[in-house]
Amino acid sequence: MVATDEELVARSMDGDADSFNQLVLRWERPIYALAYRVIGRDEDARDVAQETFLRAFRALPGFKGQAKFSSWLYRIALNLCRDWIRRKKRTPVVDMPEGVDVIELAADQGPVESIEDLVARQEMSRIVADGMKLLPDEQRTAIVLKEYHGLTFQEIADLQGCPLSTVKTRLYQGLTVLRRHLESQGMTKYEGGS
Amino acid sequence: MSMQFTCDDKATLIAYLYGEVDPAERKAVDHHLATCSACAAEVTALGGVRSEMGLWLPPEVELDFAIVKKSAVPPSNVLRPAAWWTTVPAWAQAAAAVLVLAAGAAIANVQVKSDPQGFVVTTGWMAPPPAPALGEPFDGKAVEQRVERALVALEQQLRSEIKSTREPDTRVVSRGSADEATVRRVQQLISESEQRHKQELAMRFVEFTRDMTLQRRADLMKISQGFDEYNGQLLRQRQMLNNVIRVSATPQQ
Repeated sequence: MVATDEELVARSMDGDADSFNQLVLRWERPIYALAYRVIGRDEDARDVAQETFLRAFRALPGFKGQAKFSSWLYRIALNLCRDWIRRKKRTPVVDMPEGVDVIELAADQGPVESIEDLVARQEMSRIVADGMKLLPDEQRTAIVLKEYHGLTFQEIADLQGCPLSTVKTRLYQGLTVLRRHLESQGMTKYEGGS
Repeated sequence: MSMQFTCDDKATLIAYLYGEVDPAERKAVDHHLATCSACAAEVTALGGVRSEMGLWLPPEVELDFAIVKKSAVPPSNVLRPAAWWTTVPAWAQAAAAVLVLAAGAAIANVQVKSDPQGFVVTTGWMAPPPAPALGEPFDGKAVEQRVERALVALEQQLRSEIKSTREPDTRVVSRGSADEATVRRVQQLISESEQRHKQELAMRFVEFTRDMTLQRRADLMKISQGFDEYNGQLLRQRQMLNNVIRVSATPQQ
């Protein structure tokens, strides 16, 4: 029987270090992915993700369980991302993963995907990443939380501290900017596009 | 009263796109899209953007964050090999030391002389051994008897030593208690090892479940995107059909 987040949190609060390690193991990748997509730098995303868990560990005695543990973690991570962007005064820059060998990747993919397809996919990935850079922080964060983490509008509104309608507006505006960017880069021209 | 959807209601449009609308809203949007080509095209386009966004993946990196140190294995749990000299009896160690000394002295042929000039130590390779006196007769029988006596004495000594090692003494008793302690220790280690294996198994299971969940989520996302694309195509077809119907309904001049 796999322990739930809440059970692991309770055990961690009783001083069981292994339970907290299990929580880290369970959530490190989603938190890293969130940080990477919001701030766009691999190394900094790692630092933010690690700092998220450190803060969570320190603040654990104060966690009363009103929200889900994952929502609580997302909130810490997003605050850290916001601090990072503000402190560095940087526009998020999305790096392509370093040291990625297209040929090796193609070999890993097996015979299903050709190298040409893979290169094209990487190129499209880069274009999407560049498009995300164009978005204001709040729009980008809303899109990341919705698109890649599957949060509900209400959960995003709670995390961003804004009304539900604002979240929808941010999503609509963000997707529209992305659409124009993708079309300008020669990606699929959607029929009847305005 | 049925709900109405208007072209400028982007909040509902985005909720429709992500499937977070109630049935009444869905029906209203569906009805609108069937007749409004601009909104239908927008929904298709935004669905397409969502599909393309699925291509953007974070790098596959090793994270393995260590926030809390794993509990260190207490030193008592570790079996260490005993030093070899602790298992050899003291008498054997003493005998070995004497043998080494004797062998060394024999090889070196150490000779110690004290004369009026002082105290002199010489070794075999510093001075040749004295040659036997030519005038002294060789008595073979006497030498044989001396060797025989020495061998008998050696045999008796060996017998007594072997006998003494076979007799039970306090050392054997203490060794017995040491064996019991070792058995207890081994049992403890086995139980701890089993515990560790159980924990590892549980961890693996957690990892497996997590991977399955992630994979399932990814699959669901793909399916959802597929449905979105399909919906877009359906809308386009519907729109074309509407156009055909409209054109065919228009009276020919």
